[in-house]
Amino acid sequence: MNKFIRIDMTAMKVTTEEVPEKYAGLGGRALTSNFVANEVKPTCHALGKNNKIIFAPGLLSGTAAPNSGRISVGAKSPLTGGIKESNAGGTFSQKMAKMGIKALVIEGMPADDKYHIIKIDMNGVTIEDAPAEIIGGCGNYKAIEVLSAKYGEKVGIALAGPAGEHRLPSANISFKDPEGNMRSAGRGGLGAVLGSKKVKALVIDETGAVAVPIADPEKFRAASKVFAKALLDHPVAGKGLAAYGTDVLVNILNEAGGLPAKNFTAGRIDHNDNISGETMNATITERGGEGKVSHGCHAGCIIRCSQWYTDKQGKYITSGFEYETIWGLGADAGIKDLDDIAYIDREMDDIGIDSIETAVAVACAMEGGLLPWGDGKAVLEAVKGIAVPTPLGRIIGSGTAVVGKVCGLFRVPVVKDQAIPAYDPRPVKGIGLTYATTPMGADHTAGYCISGNILKVGADIDPLKKDGQIEYSRAMQIGTASVDSTGMCLFVYFGIADNPGGYQALIDMINSQYGISLTATDVDKLGESVLKVERAFNKAAGFTNAHDRLPEFFEYEPCPPHNVVWDFTPEEIDEVYNF
Amino acid sequence: MSEQSRKTIEVRGFLHLDAAFRKKFGTIPLIMDLEEPITGIALAEKLEIPWDEIEVIFVNGFVQELDYVIHPGDRVAFLPPGCPGPYRIALGFYGKNQDNEANFKIKKKE
Repeated sequence: MNKFIRIDMTAMKVTTEEVPEKYAGLGGRALTSNFVANEVKPTCHALGKNNKIIFAPGLLSGTAAPNSGRISVGAKSPLTGGIKESNAGGTFSQKMAKMGIKALVIEGMPADDKYHIIKIDMNGVTIEDAPAEIIGGCGNYKAIEVLSAKYGEKVGIALAGPAGEHRLPSANISFKDPEGNMRSAGRGGLGAVLGSKKVKALVIDETGAVAVPIADPEKFRAASKVFAKALLDHPVAGKGLAAYGTDVLVNILNEAGGLPAKNFTAGRIDHNDNISGETMNATITERGGEGKVSHGCHAGCIIRCSQWYTDKQGKYITSGFEYETIWGLGADAGIKDLDDIAYIDREMDDIGIDSIETAVAVACAMEGGLLPWGDGKAVLEAVKGIAVPTPLGRIIGSGTAVVGKVCGLFRVPVVKDQAIPAYDPRPVKGIGLTYATTPMGADHTAGYCISGNILKVGADIDPLKKDGQIEYSRAMQIGTASVDSTGMCLFVYFGIADNPGGYQALIDMINSQYGISLTATDVDKLGESVLKVERAFNKAAGFTNAHDRLPEFFEYEPCPPHNVVWDFTPEEIDEVYNF
Repeated sequence: MSEQSRKTIEVRGFLHLDAAFRKKFGTIPLIMDLEEPITGIALAEKLEIPWDEIEVIFVNGFVQELDYVIHPGDRVAFLPPGCPGPYRIALGFYGKNQDNEANFKIKKKE
């Protein structure tokens, strides 16, 4: 990957450069975060002309390495005000990598209000007017159809939906998946940044591209085989995610008393059977038709945690129907009907809005009296209003922190203004430390992976106690930053955490692709360096350790059934980043 | 706790055990009579759940080893291998599953 492409939306000019030396060994999150730290003014307004947005495939994207098709997007976040990397599946990353494109950067902003399409193919990059029919409220499903008909069925697409056009802080960027549905770079409002630059979509056509060059193909193939086996031999691949999706976690977290319910006032619900992964699997199977219990979000995915959820007639409603979305609407907002939740999920994809932020915002809006508790039909109408946008739609689309302020609430589950996801930090304390300290704002995926000996940090963890949690959160955040830089899906976690051979195979694939000789220590150091760069950006943007704290209510409202509170001191929390 | 629940336990099965319980017992949770304490292993045997299909058990919301003693009135859940993400560490599985056949290490294939 030797091309570094800049699209200046002020001058409407495209520049293709060689990859700057300092970025040569970086990919995915390592590249996006270093770029944002180097080139974006930390104190700039996220929706102003000085913010820049960067798209980068991972180090292994475009190769035959299993699960290597994630695309990273980076910018200053309009939701948190800090640095943001958000990643997704779909087809965009692999096409970029095959075309030799290390990064696409969009900077500046046009003076007029016209929306544009950025078209990338082997002849270069052009900036075109967006088709009128996909502007001003057109849903993403329809927009993808229109763009695919115009530019080719197999093109890759990155898209700002109506929420992005309205520059709402929860707007995501939607990526076309292999079947023409969507995967989302969900968190942090990067769709609003794209919208602020008057870019409706990026369309990529790799026709004519050759295979990604591999320095030592034989060694790469051997390592890839070991890596694939480490994933497929593991029970999560066969028994967990492939059958039940991430929604398998509803019953598990509910049983552990860590499933936040009714705007974080409890850790367990009684209607878990209505919304569990087991029920989703049984429902899809029973309904037949277009339903699939297992589906890959990008070519080369062998874990296949996605699914196609259908209506009673077996017709597709939504895909990638994730635990966090189902938890947010089902447990936190109390909607008991999985079909209602599926229609809301579809609508959120269609509007292009983060389903975690929106679900938590909805639960807050219920506590604030803006919506009735548990009313799926009312929530669907409110979410549809985001595309208009209605006043309520604008409020909900502005995220949980804004809803909390509008409603005069103290129970507002956010860190750095980003909503806390589906694991209550009081009875699952290690994840609470990650919510508090990650530069991303509350984000479960910021502490998702580990590279070293898992037993060193995991053997003595009691979820309700403090012991070992600081080391756990630190190791998880470092490991995640490393894996986010490879272009790998974070679900490779179990294949590398439980199998040292799997982790070495991941490093061997990188080494044989680039003809280098990284060690496990080098990869850990990369993760550490990414976190330090991100934290330095946030510090320059005005963040201090005081922003690395959970909302106060967690300290004095015990979470039933275990009735525990958040009890880490500020000094203990600050230890997480002492490395 | 009612007099009745003092003599019974509430049992759930997750992942494929959810469908298996529903097929075999017709409902989840299964309310079982229990007069005397019983280990998780003995309860699994009673329910005909193979040991290697259980990574950990939950008892009253806490992750426990398979040989943990269950008492009348307890709420129990059997969890097969398959819990994704880092939650197996965060919820404390690693301190409880090391002597277990289904401890999530890579299984030997025949």
